Amino acid sequence: MHRLVSRLQLPFSILGEKALKWANITGGLILLTWQIMLNLLPWNWNFDGPEIWRSMYRVGVQSFPIVVVTAVLVGAIMVIQSGLYIEQYQAHGLLGWGAGYAILREVGPILIGLMFSGRVGANNTAELGTMKVTDQIDALRALAIDPVAYLVMPRFLAMIVMMFLLVVVGNFTALIGGAVTSQVLLGVDMMLFYQSVVTYVLLDDLWHGLIKSVMFGFAIAVISCYFGLATRGGAVGVGRAVNASVVGSAIAIFAIDYFVAFGTL
Amino acid sequence: MDSGSTKTEDPRREPTTFREFLASLGRPFVEIGDTVRGIFAVFGLTLYYMVRGRTRWKAIFEQLHEVGNRSVIFIAVTLGFLGMILIYQSGYQAQQITGDLQMLGGLFLQLLLREFAPTITAMMLATRVATGMAAQIGSMVVTEQVDALEMSAAQPIDYLVVPRFIATTIMTVVLSIFAVLVAYTAGAITAQLSFGLNVRTFVDMSFIGWFDVWMGLTKAVAYGMAIPIIACHAGLNVFGGSAGVGRATTAAVVNASLAVVILDFIISGAGYVILHLVS
Repeated sequence: MHRLVSRLQLPFSILGEKALKWANITGGLILLTWQIMLNLLPWNWNFDGPEIWRSMYRVGVQSFPIVVVTAVLVGAIMVIQSGLYIEQYQAHGLLGWGAGYAILREVGPILIGLMFSGRVGANNTAELGTMKVTDQIDALRALAIDPVAYLVMPRFLAMIVMMFLLVVVGNFTALIGGAVTSQVLLGVDMMLFYQSVVTYVLLDDLWHGLIKSVMFGFAIAVISCYFGLATRGGAVGVGRAVNASVVGSAIAIFAIDYFVAFGTL
Repeated sequence: MDSGSTKTEDPRREPTTFREFLASLGRPFVEIGDTVRGIFAVFGLTLYYMVRGRTRWKAIFEQLHEVGNRSVIFIAVTLGFLGMILIYQSGYQAQQITGDLQMLGGLFLQLLLREFAPTITAMMLATRVATGMAAQIGSMVVTEQVDALEMSAAQPIDYLVVPRFIATTIMTVVLSIFAVLVAYTAGAITAQLSFGLNVRTFVDMSFIGWFDVWMGLTKAVAYGMAIPIIACHAGLNVFGGSAGVGRATTAAVVNASLAVVILDFIISGAGYVILHLVS
């Protein structure tokens, strides 16, 4: 009898566990965002200058090569994909528009955001998670140092600034990659590609991508810091936290992208 | 040059600024070379044990569940958003320029098959599955379970990597097809709600041909083979406790995503060239 009852309870207990887990994560994310916002208020400014510079170096400069490689390849892929249609309709002048519009507006920020979340977000979660499981965060609390102000704020600021700058660089290199591909593989002159980009791509398209990149940086920073600080259970826990962090960042990137597209058009 | 002390006293080996500059120039290349060689070594051993080793059906089914079933919701959410975004942006442009949305659905399906469904699915699997694998195998290495496996004459690659390799290859293809369905449905709903485009007009198979299907399947298989190998390579090379596991998961997701982008470039370029040679 007891076994039957517990078997019947099983789906409900799983459902309840899931609901509790999600409520926990949502609440934690909102609380962390709230604490970050409080720390951003001008009268609470208590930034550690050198630490911010170090974070910016680690976040920005060290992910520079990977972003450049991704961007060049993404530009090339976009040109190849639009090249098939361009040749079908013999509209070589539109190649730069097709590739440039896609890169600047959607594909560039999304793919650079995903690489950024993989490189920087995962790294950040792993770092904070290791600190958590080795009790370093509790040690900070014992010394009356707020972990959010001391650990999260520099990373948060560095990630937002660097995500923006990396998308600027990435857009530029992606266009260069696209221009070279159009010359080499499609036989469309680079100058024609350039003319097409300059003529048809609007400043709005660039801004659209850059605004999104700032939002992606914000989301990745909050999510990766939250999952890092919520790590539990040794080396296995660090791995699980990194997994949760990159999955959450990916969902956030697509959701934000959708709502920005929906809100601006 | 026969003992350690003479080496350090040798003036030619003193680390000057120029030497450090050269070292910092060369180090990334050496590291990249080591990683690539390691990945191909794991790949070769995996293929060897796939042919020679025993087939562990139970482990394969466990991994199929872990990779496939548990990613379904994640893939559905992200690809659903992607379908809505792409239709939103391209539909808006089409409305502005030509005012004709007839071809939107057909071209969307073609682009989805050729490019977005397999690539974005693989990027998502590279984040979810690759970090999971690297973390799992990494913690096994840290807690010396992999050494224990070797002690009991079970090859870690045979025992751990082969089931993951088979399962991820199958599931990437399956999830890519699922991704096409999800993104297309989300796109159809968006087209109906935002542009008033009838679903009957939107569902248009006339553009796609065998080339698109083969392109998508080739990409899915290639990504599905690359992701588990890279993740397991990162996991097996963990050293140094929980910090090492964190490093390995980061390496896994970065390398797997980069591999997806590089393979995408290679296969798209090859497909373009082949299409030109045929026609």
